[in-house]
Amino acid sequence: MTGIQLKNVTKRYKENQFEITALEDVSVNIEAGEFVAIVGPSGSGKSTFLSIAGALLKPTEGQILINSNDITHFDEKKLSSVRLNQIGFILQTANLIPYLTVLDQLLIVKKMQGSVSKADRIFALELLKDLGLANKENKFPNECSGGERQRVAIARAFMNDPDIILADEPTSSLDTKRGHEVVQQMAEQVKMRGKAAIMVTHDERMLDYCDRVYRIVDGKLTEENHLA
Amino acid sequence: MTLALKELLYSKGRFIMIGLIIVLISWLVFILSGLGTGLSTLSTGVLSQADFTGIVFEEGSEYSLSKSKISGSLSEEVSAQEGVSDTAALSTFNTSIRKAGTANSNEKITDIVLIGIAPDSFMEPDLVEGNRWNGSEENQVIADISLENEGYAIGDSITFSGTDKEVTIVGFTKDQTLYHQSSLYVSMDKFRDIRFPNAESANGIENVVSGIAVRGEDIDMQALTEPGSGIEYGTKEETINAIPGYVAENATITMMLWFLMIISAFILGVFFYVLTNQKTHQFGVLKAIGGSNGFIVRSVISQVFFLALISILLGIGLTSLTVLILPETMPFQLEAEMVSIYSLVLLGISILSSLFSVARISKIDPLTALGRAE
Ligand SMILES: Nc1ncnc2c1ncn2[C@@H]1O[C@H](COP(=O)(O)OP(=O)(O)OP(=O)(O)O)[C@@H](O)[C@H]1O
Ligand SMILES: [Mg+2]
Repeated sequence: MTGIQLKNVTKRYKENQFEITALEDVSVNIEAGEFVAIVGPSGSGKSTFLSIAGALLKPTEGQILINSNDITHFDEKKLSSVRLNQIGFILQTANLIPYLTVLDQLLIVKKMQGSVSKADRIFALELLKDLGLANKENKFPNECSGGERQRVAIARAFMNDPDIILADEPTSSLDTKRGHEVVQQMAEQVKMRGKAAIMVTHDERMLDYCDRVYRIVDGKLTEENHLA
Repeated sequence: MTLALKELLYSKGRFIMIGLIIVLISWLVFILSGLGTGLSTLSTGVLSQADFTGIVFEEGSEYSLSKSKISGSLSEEVSAQEGVSDTAALSTFNTSIRKAGTANSNEKITDIVLIGIAPDSFMEPDLVEGNRWNGSEENQVIADISLENEGYAIGDSITFSGTDKEVTIVGFTKDQTLYHQSSLYVSMDKFRDIRFPNAESANGIENVVSGIAVRGEDIDMQALTEPGSGIEYGTKEETINAIPGYVAENATITMMLWFLMIISAFILGVFFYVLTNQKTHQFGVLKAIGGSNGFIVRSVISQVFFLALISILLGIGLTSLTVLILPETMPFQLEAEMVSIYSLVLLGISILSSLFSVARISKIDPLTALGRAE
């Protein structure tokens, strides 16, 4: 089975004597080619959910399967390799490396995997073009607009040809128009390249681009059926 | 690797600061080391530049040529000892000179060390200017080139204080100094003529010399140097270390050098640590998109390596420029070997000092990329 599966995932943070349950018994299954949104109020556990799905954080209980492969008990080194090869993470703020050009932002992913081939370079340029960033490849992040940066981050997430795309509020720093553009392009890429994608968002207007919507409240996840 | 270089080029200002520190430190290290070598040549040159294994002295002279008087005829006996392949008699005498024909004027007097050697022996120094003395002419001397700065030139006649004997400079050698004074090489016969004008001054020793330098491997002088035999033997190292002031002088400079290195290790360590801390978020991002610790650490270390390498090369360049403007009389001698050793040490120290940061990097949580775990 391709895609990502979370089975009965619970996450508790220990803070002093208190325990916060950020996620409670969450189970989802997202197939390749599906674009899923997660909505919910602040502090409800959205980032926690995404971090666990993105192999950045370990659950207290439950299992995570990527392409039917149980990664729950992987050590940091193996997790890092999962992130490198199977996951594309689009962070809340674009999080580009300041001293790399737009093109290098993408190629670094390949470099971390070993080496950069000519085909990688062509693929990177193609991704940039798809996202409307043609001719911007030699700019540095501080020379790009917020929307451009966010799109570079999206292109970067696709660079390693991952199975899973995760996006944490990719539109939070963009105006509505740009936000729509970015999400629309993301949806296109997901469909075109057959990825399983999860997007966390505050912005309910973005939900039209998604196949399914989950709402998370106090760590509990429920599917919404209002799309029609 | 390229990641490291790209950052170096992008954040030039920040790295120029650290680079400048390394440049200045390496500059100072090379200057100090050149000064150290220069000073030690000044105090030991005649012995340290010569190729010999040890010297036979008078018993009780504590390996000091100026305190030792033995008979030159001991040479045969010394040659017969185990391991000895060659011998050369050697005499030294601290005196002063002035140009001939100026006896009563206010002409400058220069302190020198007069060195008596047998012509053609292995103690004869290499010339940098002029001619070798020819055996029949006893009045010829070879002077250290430093005397040029005192106004002496080839062909000049000089007299020694306390005698009316005259000699002529025929050639210059270099780095032949002893006890911080320039040397003047004369043949052994002329030396005796100047040093011991009458038989009593030589304590009645026939063929008197200060010591006999020997060459050879695995030399065993035991048979000759029994207590009471009147003879002792010191290796080249012992002889050099016995030169007054040399050990203390050398130790001081060496200590300064190593302290400088240790201090620089700490300064650089702190710098790299601060730099790493500033980049915590960036490293977190790299980790979140799958960068392994190895990848990041390699990139940081190669960055420090490039930075240090370039800075040290600049330091060497600056040092070479400095040499050009140093006054001639300054004892400064830069040896390629020393420069390479200290360069490697500085490079090692820079990398070592970045290891604090490396430890820090491997602890960075990729979650920092989410901007939550501040
Ligand atoms: N490292 C942590 N240690 C302790 N508690 C944490 C930690 N991270 C998150 N929490 C808590 O877990 C809960 C869920 O946090 P999370 O960041 O997942 O929320 P969120 O839905 O992403 O909120 P937002 O929309 O504001 O980003 C919150 O109550 C938060 O305080
Ligand atoms: Mg969040």
